[in-house]
Amino acid sequence: MAPEEAALIELSSVSLTYPNGVRALDAVDLKIEKGEFIFLVGHSGTGKSSLLRLLYREQVPSAGDVYVDGIAVHRMRAGAIPRLRRNVGVVFQDFKLLSGKTVWENVAFALQVTGARTKDVMRQVPRCLDLVGLAQKSRMFPHELSGGEQQRTAIARALVNNPKILLCDEPTGNLDPSTTTEIMELLQRINTKGTTVVVATHNRAVVDRMRKRVVRLENGRIVGDEERGFYFLGLGQGQVLSG
Amino acid sequence: MDWGKVKFFLGEVLANLTRNAAMQITAIGTVAVAIAMLGAFLFVQRTAAAVSDQALQQIEVSAFLRDGLDAKADSALAARVGALPGVAHVTYVPKAQGLKQLRDKLRGEVDTSLLTTNPLPDTLRIQAKHVADVPEVAKTVKKLPGVVDVHYGAETVQKLMRLLDVAQRIGLAVIVLLVLASFQIVSNTIRLTVYSRRREISIMQLVGATNNYIRLPFIAEGIVAGVLGAALAVALLLVAQRELLPVVAQLIKFVPFPTQLPDLIPLAFQLLGVGALVGAIASWISVGRYLRV
Repeated sequence: MAPEEAALIELSSVSLTYPNGVRALDAVDLKIEKGEFIFLVGHSGTGKSSLLRLLYREQVPSAGDVYVDGIAVHRMRAGAIPRLRRNVGVVFQDFKLLSGKTVWENVAFALQVTGARTKDVMRQVPRCLDLVGLAQKSRMFPHELSGGEQQRTAIARALVNNPKILLCDEPTGNLDPSTTTEIMELLQRINTKGTTVVVATHNRAVVDRMRKRVVRLENGRIVGDEERGFYFLGLGQGQVLSG
Repeated sequence: MDWGKVKFFLGEVLANLTRNAAMQITAIGTVAVAIAMLGAFLFVQRTAAAVSDQALQQIEVSAFLRDGLDAKADSALAARVGALPGVAHVTYVPKAQGLKQLRDKLRGEVDTSLLTTNPLPDTLRIQAKHVADVPEVAKTVKKLPGVVDVHYGAETVQKLMRLLDVAQRIGLAVIVLLVLASFQIVSNTIRLTVYSRRREISIMQLVGATNNYIRLPFIAEGIVAGVLGAALAVALLLVAQRELLPVVAQLIKFVPFPTQLPDLIPLAFQLLGVGALVGAIASWISVGRYLRV
């Protein structure tokens, strides 16, 4: 990555303390370049989800700066949040699909509520459903789908606004191993098409198989950052970038 | 016009309205009752205003003139009174004419043939421009040379004005209470819808819908509920006017219902407007409270 170019995502000395006193993040520095595929690993409760929430401005840091695609997220007005979110797709462990809407409607919903023109909806929704391999099931409801298919729907919805960044919070947490592999392959494909992908996970098998950049969090601090890393850092030949 | 967008929006509004159908019906019913009462109140108030206007217009100041003034002096006096500020109209009634009018008025009830002499003085009948001017006009006229005494329904005027004042205050309080009540109920209903759609809302926020866009279907829901309630109320009022009012008018004959009843059509539009406004503001607040979190 060209060092003179600003990183797509940049956190500097970011801390986050919840109102109940829990310190979720502690002086975190992290740069993610455009086009990267990166795993955030660590036990539950180590701040992975909190870090992701800072990136789509669900949380505001208690201290430090958060830049996403050049936007100073840590001090943006509430009114500017929608613009940011259209540039950042988010996928969750529990899919967060609307049960009363079909696959097509769930995906289209994300465009329609941003006031998109019908013309664009008709073009973008099939594109995304094709990408995730659900074109044949567009008229089915979430309860008629397998877990993997539900997650594909959620991914299609996250991508329908053509975001630069896709954030995944334990995307395979509810899925069996073979489905997990499929979903990870899909994320990989999305990444090769140019979308920056950030995956928070504690699924060791996935991380060790994919050999991507791994950032390890412990108690709200970054304790390891390695290219082509493993779930437990230091096992690979990758270079330790920061500690 | 992007019909796909319109269809999507209307679908969202319909989903809202049918989400808590029972609660929605309760809200519409409550709005209907509140607005029907508000409408009935406004109707009564306007009728009362018309009635009192009519009554007040009949209040006049009678100035009794000294006996023995010639016609020329009388008409000069009439002209002088007519020029006073606050006086709308002056009629000169010579004593002979006064007696004739009295006889006409009492014909059939009292044997006026017993009136062999004319006890009446020459009189100026003075109409004030405003009821409030009546006491002032009476006082001024009384001081004029040639005027023996003035007479007007002082007590009646003041009582009527006090009554009107009290009635209006009570009315205002009732209106405020009713509007607040329907406001509260619509607001609660919308809050329920918002609550039952919190997943949709959180996903809307997640994918970058603006707060205004999220609000819109709920505002529309509130307006629909408010207008439906108001429409129901207007229908009730129309039926009441047609079926009930003649019966009531028969029963309380002593209330002089004005021949020209206030028109219900502008009132209907006002009530629909109130319904829409109540619904819009109530839902704006309900959703706003949710979005801020």
